[in-house]
Amino acid sequence: MKENEHYHAIHITKDKCIGCVHCMNACPTKAIRVKDGKARIIDERCIDCGECLRACPHDAVHSHTTSFAALDAFEYKVAIPSTVIYGQFGSSTVPNEILCALRRVGFDEVYDLSSICELNTAAIEEYLNEHPQPRPFITSTCPVVVRLIQRRYPALCRQILPIEPPREIAAKILRAILPKALNLPPEKIGIIHLTPCPAKMVSINSPATLEKSYLDGAISIRDIYPQVLNSLRKSRDDALMRHLFPETLFSGIGMGWSLSGGETRGFKNHRAVAVSGVQDTMRVLDQVEAGLLQDIDLLECTVCPDGCVGGPLQVENRFLAKSRILQLVDAAGDRAVVDHKDMSRLYHKNFLSFDHPVAPVETPPLDPDPARAILKAKRREKLIAKLPRKDCGAAGRRTAGRWRTTSSAAWPVSPTARSYKRRNDETRGPGDTARPQGFCGGREAQPAGRRRLRGRPPQRRDGPRR
Amino acid sequence: MADEAVFRQEFPVKGGDFAKAGVVACRIKDLLKELGLGTQVVRRAAIALYEAEMNVIMYAWEGRVRLVVSPGEVRITVDDNGPGIPDVDLAMTEGYSTATPEMRELGFGAGMGLPNIRKNADDFRIDSEVSRGTHLEITIHTNGHQP
Repeated sequence: MKENEHYHAIHITKDKCIGCVHCMNACPTKAIRVKDGKARIIDERCIDCGECLRACPHDAVHSHTTSFAALDAFEYKVAIPSTVIYGQFGSSTVPNEILCALRRVGFDEVYDLSSICELNTAAIEEYLNEHPQPRPFITSTCPVVVRLIQRRYPALCRQILPIEPPREIAAKILRAILPKALNLPPEKIGIIHLTPCPAKMVSINSPATLEKSYLDGAISIRDIYPQVLNSLRKSRDDALMRHLFPETLFSGIGMGWSLSGGETRGFKNHRAVAVSGVQDTMRVLDQVEAGLLQDIDLLECTVCPDGCVGGPLQVENRFLAKSRILQLVDAAGDRAVVDHKDMSRLYHKNFLSFDHPVAPVETPPLDPDPARAILKAKRREKLIAKLPRKDCGAAGRRTAGRWRTTSSAAWPVSPTARSYKRRNDETRGPGDTARPQGFCGGREAQPAGRRRLRGRPPQRRDGPRR
Repeated sequence: MADEAVFRQEFPVKGGDFAKAGVVACRIKDLLKELGLGTQVVRRAAIALYEAEMNVIMYAWEGRVRLVVSPGEVRITVDDNGPGIPDVDLAMTEGYSTATPEMRELGFGAGMGLPNIRKNADDFRIDSEVSRGTHLEITIHTNGHQP
């Protein structure tokens, strides 16, 4: 685990980065700095939430997930898609068709996760019954929340509920049964999660609560979407028939897991609160750290808006995806597919638990020496007091759409903006792309600022040397 | 005295401003983390501060949080212009609360405020004068005890 300690699924492509600072502003853990005109991620601070991925207007932030080529290493390939996938293909495509399409795409077997989600809900409730303190517990499904707590809320590590998320439990079960059933050595069987976010890749490569992940990789829904869509199109007539012979029994309780609040929908005796979105999650965790919310049993936190269904690597408009999943939840009703006795047996064998508790990850303070840290904080306060702390506004409102545009018609027509557009046009060669000269740079801010920072240019000596 | 290793900062708190509830506590918490004080020290300071800040917001007209951090201790003083506390000993009893039904609806007023501050502080002083205001002094040693 140690060598993977700073593994990240999010990277910046230097060639595409123009240093526009959008990602820096979006980063909730202040993990991005722009140096020499390029964004850089500070590994120790990054929690792989994907906010930079969403914010970047230049497609310069990339996520690293498993490639299809990597699957060739396995003789038998198993996919466990996140239940988000059921919301990706419109309301006439039923989950069974999607699972079939995935088989045709090249997986030897595909397992539905909704039943394991139901298992999880039941296990979480069992855990809450057995542990009256502390309150609230926080779910560990979202790997970003776990990493956020490790770094920003270390005191809350002990409040993370130590039951593994469904994807790991599903993989653990399959790892236990498949080698025997298929008569294959375990390393020949590849168990792959289909993920709506890059963070799952991090939880696989550097797990926070397991010695080793039970999954072999994660393919992004975005990457596999075209193939699945294609396969669905080809088999439209078969699909009609398949509707009538459902192969998998989906769990009504587990079906909604990918929506915020879905993890706790099946709760009977506990008070749960669901929070989604990174800013709101942080706001609520701040309150928990201040000793509030102790009357709540479980806090379900997911950093993507609306839950996993809002993940940056899914394809469908998240509102449509959400509406489709709600339809499926309604259709499945309260159908339970997991026997409580089975759950209880696995639970008491500790089959569902973490290998080890979540450990805090120290973020470096301003200085290891407290006295010097205080001096630095004082210096920073003084410096901040001198700064204007505002955007001059000459470049207009900063939105991804506006920066992305290259047509002159979309530029604001304020005199300042017009003059500096003209200036840009004059200096720009024909091959150059439109590149705003930085906001807060009403007039030549960047060149002048840079010069000032570096001091005066060296004087040329024309006269004779002495 | 300019480079003395003592960090001082003041934060105003407005009575009745529930929209800003916890903002000062949060800012101070983030700062203490950056200064590298221990997890438990930061947590105790956050809990005490949050309670103190909420008391000002819920009861007083206006208040002021003063933070003084030195390598050995965190000292927080909270002064407010407010109704004051007629019986401080009673207010310090666990479970005693004067919160209105509206405040309770927001999840406050479990009667844990002042005792909770005392529990999380290494040193705690309270002075109050009816119809003038309340003065709190909270000290947390950076190598202090665990509550």
